[in-house]
Amino acid sequence: MKRFLKWTACGLAVLVVAAFAGLCFLAGSPKDAYGMVRYALPHMHRGTLKVGSDAPDVRLVALDGESRFHIRERTGARPLVLVFGSFT
Amino acid sequence: MQIYNDYKERVDFLTVYVREAHPTDEWQMKSNVKDDVCYAQPKSLEQRVAIAKDFTTRFKYPLPFGIDDMNNLADAAYSAWPERLYIIDESGRIAYRGGIGPFNYKPAEVRDWLASRYGVVKHEPPPATAAAPASPAPAATADQKK
Repeated sequence: MKRFLKWTACGLAVLVVAAFAGLCFLAGSPKDAYGMVRYALPHMHRGTLKVGSDAPDVRLVALDGESRFHIRERTGARPLVLVFGSFT
Repeated sequence: MQIYNDYKERVDFLTVYVREAHPTDEWQMKSNVKDDVCYAQPKSLEQRVAIAKDFTTRFKYPLPFGIDDMNNLADAAYSAWPERLYIIDESGRIAYRGGIGPFNYKPAEVRDWLASRYGVVKHEPPPATAAAPASPAPAATADQKK
């Protein structure tokens, strides 16, 4: 039994190391692999919206930092292309 | 921005600024340092607005702009982080849902959707100069992000 547990633990350790090595290769470096797992993966969601879904209405802040408007105020007359992103 | 210039007379555009993808206090990348885009994750709306203003100023960004509040409701509603593209049609429904960036962020798909409805916008290659080689210049410009 002890031998079985020992081999299982070793096997799991090898898998974890291999997975991390693969992630490092994918991300470019151990630092980037850690960053991806720690900060990126928890925030990335495929979401439930599909083509044909009602577009959610959300209130946004204008660039002046004060005034507000809703996304759906910009829809209706013409199609609206939404570009989500950030500077970094 | 080429897509914006090509189709702004036909459709509306709106940039929605969400939480930072690679802030200095989280997962900063080497490219951020190289490009001098070094900001901590904003802890207040004022900080987020300030970064957004830096962005629009640096690139003379022409697209209409909105900023997600600090409760990140737009990000949550559209599963937008770190970057994503959508098209909402006149009836208020999702007409195009892009993949999650960076690998599945594909402005060319937005261009294809717009082209299928409004036609392809072609760009003439610049006129050849006397010193240019005889081989033909490349065709329409590649799509640029945003």
